[in-house]
Amino acid sequence: MRWLIRTLSKRLFRGRKNQSRDARAANQTGDGNLFRAPRKNQVLSPDLETNLKAIKAIFDKCSDVIYREFVFAQNEQIRLALIYIDGLADKGQVSEQIMRALALEVPMVVPGQEITKARALEFIKQRGLCMHQVKETDKLQDVIHAILSGDTVLLVDGHTCAIINGARGWEARSITDPVAEPTVRGPRESFVETLRTNTALIRRRIKSPGLKIETLRLGEVTNTDVAIAYVEGIVNDKLVEEVKSRLERIKVDAVLETGYIEELIEDNPWSPFPTVNHTEKPDRVAAMLLEGRVAILVDGTPFVLTVPTLFVEYLQASEDYYERFLFASAVRLIRFVSMILSLTLPSLYIAAISFHHELFPTPLLLSIAAQREAVPFPVFIEVLIMELSFEILREAGVRLPRPIGQAVSIVGALVIGEASVRAGLIAAATVIVVALTGIASFTFFYSFSIAFRLLRFTLMVLSAALGLLGLISGLAVITIHLCSLRSFGVPYLSPMIPTTGVDLKDVVLRSPWWGMFTRPRLIARQDQKRQEQGLKPTPPKNPRP
Amino acid sequence: MLKKIAFFLLLALLTGILSGCWSRKEISEIAIVLGTGVDLTEDGRIRLTVQIARPTAFVGGGEAGAVGTEAPASWVVSAEGRTVEEAERYLAMKVPRELYWGHNVILVIGEEMAKKGTRMVTNFFQRERQPRENAWLMVTKGEAKDFLETYSDLAKTSAQAAGFLTRMKTCYAVQLREFAEMLASKGVQPTATRVEAKKAGITPGPGQEKVFTAHKQVELTGAAVFKEDKLIGWLDAYQTRGLLWLKGEAMKGAVIVPSPAEPDKNVSIRILRGSTKVVPEYDGENLRFNVIIKVEGNMVDQQSREDLARPEKIKALKEAVAEAIRQRTAVALEKAQGEYGVDIFGFGEAFHRKYKKAWRELKDRWDEEFTRAEVNVTVDVRIREIGLLTRRASTEEK
Amino acid sequence: MLEKGKIDSNQAVMLMVSLVLPTAILFVPAIIVKHARQDAWLAAIVALLGGLLIARLVVSLSLRFPEKTLFEYAQTILGKVPGKLVGLLYIWWFLYTGALIMDEFASFLCTAIMPETPPVVLFLVGIAVAAYAVRNGLEVLSRYNQLLLPILLGLLVITFLLVTKDMKAERLLPVFDQSAPAILKGAAVPLSWLGEIVLFAMIIPFLQKPREAHRVAALATLFTGLFFAICTVVTLSVFGPNLAAHWVFPVYNTVRVVSIANFLERLDIIIVAVWVFGGFAKMGVFYYAAVLGSAQWLGLKDYRPLVAPVGLLLIGLALLCDNIVDLLDFAARAWPPYALIVFEVGMPLFLMIVALVRGKGESNA
Repeated sequence: MRWLIRTLSKRLFRGRKNQSRDARAANQTGDGNLFRAPRKNQVLSPDLETNLKAIKAIFDKCSDVIYREFVFAQNEQIRLALIYIDGLADKGQVSEQIMRALALEVPMVVPGQEITKARALEFIKQRGLCMHQVKETDKLQDVIHAILSGDTVLLVDGHTCAIINGARGWEARSITDPVAEPTVRGPRESFVETLRTNTALIRRRIKSPGLKIETLRLGEVTNTDVAIAYVEGIVNDKLVEEVKSRLERIKVDAVLETGYIEELIEDNPWSPFPTVNHTEKPDRVAAMLLEGRVAILVDGTPFVLTVPTLFVEYLQASEDYYERFLFASAVRLIRFVSMILSLTLPSLYIAAISFHHELFPTPLLLSIAAQREAVPFPVFIEVLIMELSFEILREAGVRLPRPIGQAVSIVGALVIGEASVRAGLIAAATVIVVALTGIASFTFFYSFSIAFRLLRFTLMVLSAALGLLGLISGLAVITIHLCSLRSFGVPYLSPMIPTTGVDLKDVVLRSPWWGMFTRPRLIARQDQKRQEQGLKPTPPKNPRP
Repeated sequence: MLKKIAFFLLLALLTGILSGCWSRKEISEIAIVLGTGVDLTEDGRIRLTVQIARPTAFVGGGEAGAVGTEAPASWVVSAEGRTVEEAERYLAMKVPRELYWGHNVILVIGEEMAKKGTRMVTNFFQRERQPRENAWLMVTKGEAKDFLETYSDLAKTSAQAAGFLTRMKTCYAVQLREFAEMLASKGVQPTATRVEAKKAGITPGPGQEKVFTAHKQVELTGAAVFKEDKLIGWLDAYQTRGLLWLKGEAMKGAVIVPSPAEPDKNVSIRILRGSTKVVPEYDGENLRFNVIIKVEGNMVDQQSREDLARPEKIKALKEAVAEAIRQRTAVALEKAQGEYGVDIFGFGEAFHRKYKKAWRELKDRWDEEFTRAEVNVTVDVRIREIGLLTRRASTEEK
Repeated sequence: MLEKGKIDSNQAVMLMVSLVLPTAILFVPAIIVKHARQDAWLAAIVALLGGLLIARLVVSLSLRFPEKTLFEYAQTILGKVPGKLVGLLYIWWFLYTGALIMDEFASFLCTAIMPETPPVVLFLVGIAVAAYAVRNGLEVLSRYNQLLLPILLGLLVITFLLVTKDMKAERLLPVFDQSAPAILKGAAVPLSWLGEIVLFAMIIPFLQKPREAHRVAALATLFTGLFFAICTVVTLSVFGPNLAAHWVFPVYNTVRVVSIANFLERLDIIIVAVWVFGGFAKMGVFYYAAVLGSAQWLGLKDYRPLVAPVGLLLIGLALLCDNIVDLLDFAARAWPPYALIVFEVGMPLFLMIVALVRGKGESNA
């Protein structure tokens, strides 16, 4: 299947691929073609004017860059310049803690020790700035990046060193309920668009020096900050290496969402199944990290990637671990059943109606036969129409502004549900089947249900052609494909296949917390012991009042 | 290169599959056969009669099926041919949809056909994939066509009604596969359900109080006795009880016995469960079968006035029940050993199980041996409950 | 190494079960019952004992060369040319058996669910799926099998439990009704199917723990043999020996009999459908052995280029079969001596003796 798509796409995309290759080549030769970038390792000059000029040249036509020149309070000969981007820097901090401090309120120094130009930098750094985070650099490139990241750069005349003040502050969304993964019980926080906030959210949950957060920068134009988080001692070191090497080979111009990275680090890019999971819940990420996974955070998106990803993850909601295990297991079973339903129900229905009438008990067969008497379409077309209209409705519901969304659902339900059955265009049983399928596909993770939705149509075609045999063949191919998938070296279907006995207690059923002694074997190769045995609560038989 | 070839092959396969759609029959393209009847016509041809469901009559739910206008639920149609298949092909010329046998409930064989031999009929229904081996096999007195051309008031179609009747095992019931097994065995001769279409009950309604609309309905009336695959006689309902006891099947029904102290009044015992064990004894010449029947039942009805809720009365009742069952078996045995001369009880099988060597000699003339065999029936009765009453409600002490 | 994957012992056991069971339970019960009647289950047990011996022989032979497949050590033992000749024979046998399996399955499907479908379409579908599995390698094939075999067997066992209502223990009696030769004759057929374990010689080098090969082969044979016996017992007790021998696919008919509460019935379609999963697995194993063997025989570095041609060859061979009567006759009469004497016992025994005489391989096995 994979190579089928590959050959197909090779044909289709050949022209475009060559084009992009040419473009890339052009890009590499004329490095500054896209924009005026500083030369590598270009250092600052001691002259403030020159530096300003260079920076201004780089930020040509960038109206949001602010250059503020002023003089030092103690010695008017020392000229200073502040450079920052309007909207990214915290204006209060910049004016209060930097400008005010330097231009007006620099404390009186020891008499006799006048601050000379030469000592200015040292003095400012040590006593002049009321900032919590200060860095120094002499490279123009770093200065530019600091400005773009929202830091405030202070240039001091006569020094080749710039001071980078971490006075970032921009308008950001506050932490809200998770939208894509709502829960009944459990933490309500979700990630936001700011990387630092997100790492803090994870750190708040794992208060251990073992939680490592490494950062790197991706995207030639966007220069997006990307963080890799893992828990040392639990994670498999090779996995971290693998993640890093896969990330480092990414050379794209932009990373606007984790989706960009996801497609670039997948094990099998042609598979309809996602092999990199994403979530917007910090507690889920924390749980993943504690099982030995690696999280990839990207600045600018609330979705965090976790690898390696297993098939079963998509059936596990974080709530499963917060509810009591019996209920959690029951719910998981339902999710499992609905997963199977959402994949096979329409094709099973088609196969049964058009090939295998034996599947129905006699009364049901007669009742369905009665319903279908007036229907003018073959069942395949009928189901296809219904499935398509369901997909259209669903898409419309997502895209439409919220107030109109309700109108769509009413019209959809009325037109498609009621009217088509009354008009005799669609059998009532078909509506039931399609509705059940649609609802079932929402019981597990959205990104995963997309895969099943695609495959559902394929299976429908197959079972329309060959009945159950077609359906089974399709399922066999899907199964083989799933068996062949790996996510960062871990078999996708594990721990079911290949079977690791101890890990099976967290697949379809969830064993109680006092029963989960070990971490997943294939993921966490180090320190598999999760907790002590014998934690099962045994309250005293005769509790004293 | 290889990939390209494989790719195009796959493409070709896909288009081939999509355009083919073999064996595809939409539900709206099939005629669902609920009952099948086979008769022998006077000129020796096979007449196949099918009862086809009319889907429009089965519309469920609210407004679709308007109340009052009850559409006929089935359509009965027949065709003739030299074989069942030929008749089926001629049927296909009359029925505008593909005949579909997967939900065929009953297979009725007409009397004449059964006399000629059932193999001509059953083979088709076993060999074909659609008809189920679970279908109930029955033999009707008269023509199967007439039997199917009835309708039922409770079930939607008469075929379903017959199916329900047999499934409840109120009388002797046999599935196609069980019949086939008996046919294949030398230790037992086949028997099948005997059915008839008889007038039963009326359907009163507003404006119909005086017009009695009694029409023919299906009824189970006993069993049909075969030698090999040919019908040789009938058992009526009473004799069939004996057959059931001896075969150890369908331990249901009631035994009516005279009340111990008032023999002219009756007491009814409803049978709950029971078992039959056949123990053959053979010394090289004399063949004897000891049949041990164990019965459990409840008392459900009492016409007499006496107080039966006493241990000694219950004991007397037990003996009466045993005697009644013995009588029934005796009647059936007499028919089988005397009139028809065939082992319809499967005693041969029991004999085979115990005397495998002797069986090899006897199996080819088993029916003769059987008619000469002596059969002792012992009945062990247990009466468990007496219902909600201790005695007849209106009575003076006695 | 042509195959990079390794499979664990459980997977190997399941794969070896799939090697025999899926088509065997279709055809074999009828054949055993025909010969041994009530004692069919005895015949199955006898066959099981024989199967264990064959498994022992094959594994012992293979473990003398734990790194090599049948095709490789045949050359080590016999020398290059005779070894290649033996290899060619086995390629033929794998191909032929593969084609036979396809034929069996296609005829079953045609009879059971889709009579109007031309067999070639079924072949194409089967080969396409199996080829996809084979391309993905032994590891994926055995994982697929590990996932679906339990479902197939579980459903069958559930069906057997559901049909207990219609079972009668008396139908199994009397025991030892048939003479010993008849029982042995009945045992020959299942034995020849159990002997397909010879193919394990292709898998042993890819075991994670080759030392467990004896256990794997014995377990697989035991399981398969017992399942045979259970199948025959169930069919016998549902239909009795007379009728059971009449059916072409007695286990299928057994499934058809299930009827619980007038609702849980007509399970045959579902079982047939799940059966197809097993068919793909069985097909896949033989297909894989044929492809891997051919690649080793030709000395290729990768077996994948052979997948498509071998698949077409299989279809071609399968098309040669004319009708189901031939197939049944072949399965009942020609197959046992042919497979048993030449490929399952004769050749391994010969290789073993030569290896012992020439002192080839490790002797600690």
